[in-house]
Order: sequence, then C-alpha cells, then structure tokens
Amino acid sequence: MSASLRRFRPDFWTIVTGLILAVLAVFLILPILRVLLLSFVDAKTGGITLSNYVEVFTRNYYLSGLRNTLYVAFFGTIGACLLGIPLAFFVSRFHIRGRSWVSTLAILVLVSPPFISAYAWIMMLGSNGFITNFLRSIGVATPTIYGAGGIILVFTLKFFPFVFLMTQTALNAVNKSFEDAAENLGCAPWERFFKVTMPLVFPAISTGAIICFVLSVADFGTPAILGHGFRTLSTIALSAYKSELGGAPTIAVTVSIIMMAISMLALVAQRRILARRRYASSLTNLPVKARLAGWRNVAMHLFCHGVVLVAMAPSLVVVYTSFLQTKGPVFTGGYGLESYRRILYDAPEAIANSFMFSISAVILITIFSSLISYVIVRRETVASGAIDFLLMVPYLVPGVVMAIGFVTTFRTGSFNLFGTAGLLILIYFIRRMPYGVRSTTSSLRQIKPSLEEAAINLGAPPLKAFLTVTIPLILPGLIVGSLMSFITAINELSSTIIIYDGGTITMPVKVYLAVLDGEFGLAAALSTVLLLLTGLCVYVVFRFADNRDSSFL
Amino acid sequence: MASVEISGLRKLYGDVVALSDINVSIPSGAFYTLLGPSGCGKTTLLRTIAGFHLQDAGTIEVDGIPIETLPAYRRDVGMVFQDYAIFPHLSVRDNVAFGLKQRKVKGSEIARRVADVLEVVQLGAFANRMPHELSGGQQQRVGLARAIVIEPKVLLMDEPLSNLDAKLRVDLRAELRRIQRDLGITTIYVTHDQEEALAMSDIVCVMFGGVIQQAATPLDIYMNPANRFVAAFVGANNFLGLEGARLVSGGASVPAPATATACAVRPEVLRAAAGSVPPADGEIAVAAKLREVSFIGREMEVFGTTDAGEPLKAVARPDPAIVALREGSPVTFTAPRADLLYFAEGETGARVT
Repeated sequence: MSASLRRFRPDFWTIVTGLILAVLAVFLILPILRVLLLSFVDAKTGGITLSNYVEVFTRNYYLSGLRNTLYVAFFGTIGACLLGIPLAFFVSRFHIRGRSWVSTLAILVLVSPPFISAYAWIMMLGSNGFITNFLRSIGVATPTIYGAGGIILVFTLKFFPFVFLMTQTALNAVNKSFEDAAENLGCAPWERFFKVTMPLVFPAISTGAIICFVLSVADFGTPAILGHGFRTLSTIALSAYKSELGGAPTIAVTVSIIMMAISMLALVAQRRILARRRYASSLTNLPVKARLAGWRNVAMHLFCHGVVLVAMAPSLVVVYTSFLQTKGPVFTGGYGLESYRRILYDAPEAIANSFMFSISAVILITIFSSLISYVIVRRETVASGAIDFLLMVPYLVPGVVMAIGFVTTFRTGSFNLFGTAGLLILIYFIRRMPYGVRSTTSSLRQIKPSLEEAAINLGAPPLKAFLTVTIPLILPGLIVGSLMSFITAINELSSTIIIYDGGTITMPVKVYLAVLDGEFGLAAALSTVLLLLTGLCVYVVFRFADNRDSSFL
Repeated sequence: MASVEISGLRKLYGDVVALSDINVSIPSGAFYTLLGPSGCGKTTLLRTIAGFHLQDAGTIEVDGIPIETLPAYRRDVGMVFQDYAIFPHLSVRDNVAFGLKQRKVKGSEIARRVADVLEVVQLGAFANRMPHELSGGQQQRVGLARAIVIEPKVLLMDEPLSNLDAKLRVDLRAELRRIQRDLGITTIYVTHDQEEALAMSDIVCVMFGGVIQQAATPLDIYMNPANRFVAAFVGANNFLGLEGARLVSGGASVPAPATATACAVRPEVLRAAAGSVPPADGEIAVAAKLREVSFIGREMEVFGTTDAGEPLKAVARPDPAIVALREGSPVTFTAPRADLLYFAEGETGARVT
C-alpha cells in the first residue's frame, strides 16, 4: 500500500465534514449562484447580458446610493466601536453596579427591529417629536434626525452591542499574566491597555466592527424611514425589487450583488489583518475586576448606564406606546390595554409561527455549530478552511438576496420542495448559523486539544469524546451562540417578507405591516411582547452563564 | 506488560522530516525514555504511538500485534499529558473512571479500581474534588491514575513533570518510577531533562533531528556516547580540536585516531593545578589561563581558556590553592588518556576509538 493511500482514513469527523459541506452547498452556495446568474440575465429577452451592471454603474442615481451606503456604514461602525469598546472594557475590568442589567440591556438593543428603532427616533427627535417639541419650547433648536446623521445615530446605537459583546468575551479570556507582565515592564495602566490588552482583543473588536459594517450596508429599514431622499443601495434595491415584482428582479439583484461585494471586501481586509494573529490563551490567570473610586467611578457608571439607556430609548418608547389607549389605528389619549387585546385576535398565528420557525432553526443551528466549530478549530484541512470561509458568506448576503435565491431555487411554479414553513426555517438556519458558530468556535479555541485526546486515548470514539468532553466544556459558548442566533432569527424580516405566505406570517412581518398601515399601537404591543420574551431569556442565560464560569475555573 | 517494537517509522510534515527511519525495541516492563532538545521529534514519536499522528511509513507492534493503523481510541495505550488534560467538568473520581466506563466495566468494579488506584497515587481523600481544587502535582497524579487504571499495555508520558516546580518534580519522579516498577508496566517517557532521563530510565533513547542518536542504559549513554551529539547533550563535556590526528591544545601532544576531528573530556575527569605541570604517565596536560573559579560548596568549578581560545571546565573537590588564584593565572588541566573520547567530523560525528 502506498503512503498516500494509507494516509486517507475516513473517520467520524471526515464524514461530518462531508455532511457540513453538502448542507452548505445546497442551502448557501446554490441559492447565491442562482442570484448571481440572475444579475446577468436580460429581464426582457432572458439572454445573458452585462447591461444590468452597465445600468447600475453609469447612472448617478445608483452611484450616489453607493457613496451614501459607504458613508453611513463607515461612520455607523466607528460610532459603534466608540461606544462598544469602552463599555466592554469597563464591564470586564471594573466593578459596575448593575453589570448584568447593562449587559441585558445591550442585548435587548439587538432585539428591536431597526425600522421600529428608526420610527421611535422620529417620535422622539423628528420634526414633531416630543424631545424636539420640548427643546423647542425652551428655545433650543435640534439638528434634524432625517438624512445621514440620523441613520448614523441609529446604526451606532443599534449595532454597538456587537462590538461590546465580542470585545467583552475576549477581554474576559485574556490571561492576566500578559497585563501583569506589561505592567512589570513599565507600562502605565493606559499604556498597558493600548499596547497589550487592545492588540490581544483586536481580533474580537474587528470581528464586531465588521458585523456592524456589514449589517449597516444591508439594513434597509433605517434608511427607508429616516432617509427622506437620502438613498442607500438597500432602499434602491428594495424599490427596484418591488417595481420588478412579477418579472425577473434583475436590477434589485444586481444592486444587491454590489452590496455583497462591499461587505466581502471589508471581510477580506479583516481576514488579512488577522491572518497572522492566533492567540491560544490558557485560562490559568484570569483577569480580576478593579474598583474605581470618586468621580472616575461616577463617570464610568454614567457612561455605561447612559449608553445602554439611550440605546434602549426607542424600545422604551415602543413599550410606552403599547400602553396608550387606541381605537383602531387612532391613539385616543390616556392609557389602556386595547393594543394587547388586539394581538389576541389579530396575531396569535404570527406569534406561534415566529416561535416555531425560530426554535426549529436554532435547534439545527446548535447541532451544526457545535460540529462545525470542532471541524474548524481541530481539523486543519482544506475542507475545514473552506467551511470557515463559507460561514462568512451569510453575513454578507442581504436577506432579500438570500430569500430571492431560496425562492427561485426551491420554489418555482407549483414546485415547493420544503413547504413555505420549511423554507423559512431553512433560511433562518443558514443565515443565523454564523452567530452560533462564532461563539462556539471561540469557546472551543480556549479548550486544550489534549482534553479530547485524553478522552480518545482512554478509549472514547470521536463522537463519544465530543459529546462527553467537548460539548460540556463549550456549553457556555454554545448557549450564548444559540441565544444570539435565536434573537436574530425571531426578528428576521428582510427574508421573511419575500418568502412568507398567508399561513406563515411572523411577528416581525406583522409589525412591519402594522407600521405601514399606521397601526402603531398594534405594532408596539407585538414588539413589546417580543422584547419581554427575548429579554427574559437573555437575562436567564446571563445568570446561567455566570454560574457556568465560576464552576469551570 | 508488553513489548514494543517499532520499525522503519517515518513521519513527514510537508517537506520537513519529523521522524526518519525510527527503529525501537522495548522489552516488556521497561522504562524507556525519549530524550532530546525541543523539536527533535520525541513528542511526535510518542503521539504517533498514541495514534494522534499517522505515520507515513513503518510499523508499531505491541506484543507482536501491529497497532499503527488502529484509530487512537482503540490502541489501548495509556497516556499522561504534559498539561495534565484533566477534564475540568468532572470530579477526580469521574476523571479516573472515564476510561473504565468507556470499556464497559461494571459499576462496582469501577468503584473498587478507582479507589485502589487513587490510593496508589496517594489521592484517596480527593476522589470527590473538582480538578480546579487540586494543585498541579495533584492534577498530574490524577492524570497518572486515569492512565494506569485502565491497565494499558503501554504507558506513554509526555513531559509529565515539566509544568511542576523543581522539588515536586524530584519527588514525583521517584514516585512515578516506584509505581511503574510495582505495576511492571512498559513505559515510554518523553523528556528534555537529562537528569530526569538518567535517574528514571532502564533505557535512554537520545533523539536529534528526527533521528535516534543512541539508545542504551543511562550509564552507557553517559560513559560511552555513540556520537558527538550524545556526548555534548547528556552531561557536560569539554571539546578540544585536533590537528593532523594529534591533540595539541595547550602544549599537549597526544596522538589521536586518524578519522577523529575532536576530543571530548568530562569536567569531572579533568583536574586543575596551579602553574605549569608536566603530564604524568598515561595522562595529558593542557596549559591554560584561569578564567574563573566558582566555589559552590561540595565542589568547585574551574574555568580556563587555552592559548587557542578553547574553553575548559573542570569540576573537582575544593582546593584552597586553586580557589585563591587570580584570574589570568597559569593553570594546567590534566586527565588520564584513557578517559579521552574521540569523535569524527560534524555535530553528530561518530565516536572513534
């Protein structure tokens, strides 16, 4: 037998790798290829053409959209970093009163759909907003919330939790010895932070920032509501899609492909920067939390609580609005539960569907992300590198594009392979899986491979070693990852709005339609239910994860 | 209890040869140590035996049964890890019981065997502790207990003591050796610490550059190194260059074997004397300038430099006359000719006698 033949020994993980690749090929690559193909199709003749791209790259309408998109995404990301990084540092390195409160609020900020957030900001800072009116009454003029400034504000407050959560997790895993060593070598605390701590958590920061950037590029709700003539690629793509409905959505798809390309370039840049940084951190010497005193302590508390409260403000406005008395779409003054009563006969189906689809997707995500993270972290093969790369793709593909891909691939004419509910579960699964994999992967990187080797050496086959040793050790990461994907799945709108039909309406779609109809009471009540349920689950898991931490160290 | 026979083992990482034609024969019950500097291939060899690396060629037999194609979890070789690899989510008892459960041993027998082995490693009172409540030394005892409780045919240890402090290392070293002897378990032990290797082993196998340099008893390794690398790596040694098959350093004039290019002499063989001393019968005398005398209690270390700039070191009983000498004073190093070893050209140049 030749050496090369003996080298190939298919084991459990080889089979798992194959399965993962197959799933990604069918549910990720195939729909995207379909969309890519559509962008080269002539809508009228059905022939292959470059005219869609020529159209997009020559008309000022599209080019200014491109400039606007880059502008708001860039400054939105900068803003998110300016809030998220200090917040993460304070929470992980100092004693903060109400730390889990701050963290819970930060996660809750992720929950509210962006268009609700944008609408709530108009209610506060719009030309007839209550803050605007109040400030005007005392003679202070407010800058306009409409246009680029408002969009950047919403992106900043909406997306900073990604930077915060990623950076905080990394900061908690930094071996304190590194910081001690820096101090010992003569670094003042602030020097130590910039020269040692920041570089160590830079991979996490940049990952968080890239997520902000990509989400800002793909977001359509915020610019749609706050833009007032300030158009981004996403609003252009959306209106193109609507005007092309019935025919092939070629221009919408072409604009979307350009959005994907922007995100892809950002991601490639980040990966290049990170390519040479790999930190295997042992958890022998954990960071300790310091106490601040005096005005510094007060300022730090003001900052932490202030950031999350301001970011929470739109949700609070929504909750408040849900308790305003309504008659149909009209607020009648005073308080009441009419909006909640209306959910019961207007939207029970939407609530049931949302939970059914999201939980099914999260179960799939949990199973797959634990397997995938093992393959990525422990097996350094071409296939595992390919999987790692492919998992970036869902971040980059706007929901509308993915949904068009799904519909045109799996549901043509009367052919509907998975049913509409199945399609929704699968699209949540494929689009939200990276959140799960991210979290489990970083958890797993901190587990020494020798632990699994010990299990295998003691006679446990690979699957058994994985279930009895790896899974219990990455459980905190797995829970956090599942939670993140659940939150993003249950709030999914941009794909659902393309795919859903009469029987598969979900809460976000119901909210969106209600907002469009001016039924803001109903929308607010539904959003509040969503906020409360998810917030509760976030809080429980945070408590749970804290206990987990202490029981493992 | 099993013999281990490794033949023609080869392992490549891309173009880099990690293991080159490894042939090892370990008698049943022996304590066999792989010794070498980092990167020499010793850990690669150990992990290949454990099944964590797949060899490119060669066979590994335990008691005549080839195991080199078996997956790691079916090899039945116990392993003790450098970083302990104690499962942090399981108690000491469950850590030790892990392999037994895997082998579907009955519950009552698991309890008995776990209790027994914890007594052997002196952790009887710690069965219910979680790993984070144990010191490093205790964790490594758990690691050992976990590996031996399954009664493996072969026990592999990957620098198990290197993460412990010096005193504990010496204590645990003796204990490891005692347990290994009592159980009579064939053991392959990886270390870069030569003292550890010499103190514990039946056979020491010195590796360098993925190649076995010499495998022999500790005494043989020290007294009769097979090549220059072994002579330099195990214990301290002075190396003197040769000129035209003669040792001429410091005025000595001693014929050497024709193919030799260097001569080695152990520091404890060299004696130092003040001034210029002619060689006695059957001895060599090398004149040098004193560089430093370091008195460390039981002995003194005398460092000198020959005219050609070759450093020399002698370790001897403290002599007030030598300790009192100033730097730069003339000294003579002497040694019996019979204690000189000659080596051929190169870092791993073969021994020539």
